Amino acid sequence: MTFVLDDLLIKPWVSLVKVLRSTAIEEAYDVEAIHDEIKENQLLYEIGERPREEYEQRRADLELELEVAEKARENLSGRVEVKR
Amino acid sequence: MANDHLYTYGVIEQTDVELDIDGVDRAERLYTVDYRTLSAVVSDIDTLEPDETDENIRAHDEVLQTVMERGDVSAVVPMRFGMVFKSVRPLKNVLRSSRSVLSKTLRDIDGTIELGLKLVAEEDVTLDREAIREDVSDRLDGVSLEESENGLFSDRLVLNCSYLVSRDDREDFDAAIAEIESTYGDSLIVQYTGPWAPYNFVDIEIGVDR
Repeated sequence: MTFVLDDLLIKPWVSLVKVLRSTAIEEAYDVEAIHDEIKENQLLYEIGERPREEYEQRRADLELELEVAEKARENLSGRVEVKR
Repeated sequence: MANDHLYTYGVIEQTDVELDIDGVDRAERLYTVDYRTLSAVVSDIDTLEPDETDENIRAHDEVLQTVMERGDVSAVVPMRFGMVFKSVRPLKNVLRSSRSVLSKTLRDIDGTIELGLKLVAEEDVTLDREAIREDVSDRLDGVSLEESENGLFSDRLVLNCSYLVSRDDREDFDAAIAEIESTYGDSLIVQYTGPWAPYNFVDIEIGVDR
């Protein structure tokens, strides 16, 4: 009986942790979202709202982020599904 | 390293083309490789995987624009960035195996150009985005042959479309864009670009054995 009660008390927490972990992975490795940010950075530069220096710094940051995300997804291939 | 590979920009109806502009990886000589009724516009390159830098992407587009502006070329089937062949032989093999579809596509896009339009909302303005999209689409419908919607990759983007336009309708299209700018200029930034080779209206899958 004790086992059942413990299980019932702990399970929702385990499941919540799983959901949070899965959401964090999806957000961290969302390659499509990073591509969108790269395009937005380019657009803001082209319409004159982002100075060249800021644009170049942001682009370098995003390209690095993209590289990391692509590598991570490759390593987790089959274990991470990103839903948008 | 020897520049013995061929970077390919696009395919046109058989025409001898030599250009004096910089190509991808600062290639200085742009020329054509023919296969029967087709010519591929190429430059020499020493790698099969050129870097996708801003400079190279710009060079790719500028070559295609320059080819399109020539009086003896009425259509270009653009290749996507990075199409490199090891030598002339595999390139000719692709021209041979895709000749029918390339010729048909060249006929379909003959005398046309692609123009791009992005409408970007000024910061902190409230807009009826759907109504604007409908209005713009209505205005450009009569002066374009086809419309292709591209992704709204930013919250600021209200519209992101490409239009296939007959060269004969270019002035009318320009005038319609000027009217759109005059109507929405207070709340939207209009980014009008082109002419481009019709990337968004050509859908050819080429099996490449480089």
